[in-house]
Amino acid sequence: MPTDFDKGAYPEPPRQTPAVDKQTALPNPALILSKLFYYSVDLPVTTFRDAVDSIRAKNKSVYYHQKFRRVPDLTECQQGDYLCYYEAEMQWRRDYKVDQEIVKVVQERMRACHQREGASYQQNCAKEIEQFNEATKNFQSRYGDLGAYGSGRKCLMKQKERMMAAQASSA
Amino acid sequence: MVGMSVLRSAAAFAARLSPLKSGNNAANVLTRAIQRTDKVAVRWGHGKKMFVIKPTDFYDRRFLRLLQYYILLTGIPMAVIVTCVNVFAGEAELAEAPEDYEPEHWEYYKHPITRWIARNFYDSPVKDYEKMMAAIQIEKEKADMRLTQLEVRRQMRTKGDGPWFQVGTLNKELIDYSPKATPDN
Repeated sequence: MPTDFDKGAYPEPPRQTPAVDKQTALPNPALILSKLFYYSVDLPVTTFRDAVDSIRAKNKSVYYHQKFRRVPDLTECQQGDYLCYYEAEMQWRRDYKVDQEIVKVVQERMRACHQREGASYQQNCAKEIEQFNEATKNFQSRYGDLGAYGSGRKCLMKQKERMMAAQASSA
Repeated sequence: MVGMSVLRSAAAFAARLSPLKSGNNAANVLTRAIQRTDKVAVRWGHGKKMFVIKPTDFYDRRFLRLLQYYILLTGIPMAVIVTCVNVFAGEAELAEAPEDYEPEHWEYYKHPITRWIARNFYDSPVKDYEKMMAAIQIEKEKADMRLTQLEVRRQMRTKGDGPWFQVGTLNKELIDYSPKATPDN
């Protein structure tokens, strides 16, 4: 079966279902329906999956994450060294993708918390919401409004503008 | 009932209105002498044969038939192959790369068909990167050479001591100074 989600990242609140205390002799329709669903849907699907997994177990293969070495940044390149520019640009693009995925993960956690808590999410998920707001604000200030042809150079110029604005506002 | 007399037509009308009275016996009902227009036997069996005139749909149906045939000609083998690959050779699982082992470039993908394509048809991303860097290096060298050539042209034009921009003149030993040999000529 595919692996379950990370229980530490999306914690479930403790279950509060009471113990079964049957006081009538009538059958419980919820129980009947759940058993019906189990025998008609769950069991065939699970047996099919197990059969396919036993066939697949003979040829198992693995895949890895690719690790990239860090190369000198755009600020550490000489003027006119186009190879250095290219490597720095590729590194910036990889970092941009990583940052996008980070924001997606933080957003997913906030949405899971919202779904779990229901109507009282603003109070119970304050940590996740605050984390999400901070992540998106930082992402927007670093990568926002770069446009479709955004590159490492334009990002660096944007950082320069930010530092100038910060210096102008503090001075 | 044109040939019947008035009495006969009146009797027929009376029989039509009330067919089950004593005077109108079964024979008259069966032989259809009494009209029974309210109880007609309506049978939807074979019905009346109609010749329906509509524009031809031969070309449309032929097009759809051929479309189906040509799509399924490669569609079905492809579907069978993809199903077999997914059932018999499953997707890869994520694992930590061992310390001293450098995975091949196709071992970074999950689905077996992607791995196969990356192994047999595509160059590794490292090779693509190096190809791009080689192209950039060649262009950089071309640009540098063009700049140096312009600089050399400028220097040789201004200083004049280089091999370029030399204009050939005649041999000075061919000049005939005899008209100017004596001052009184």
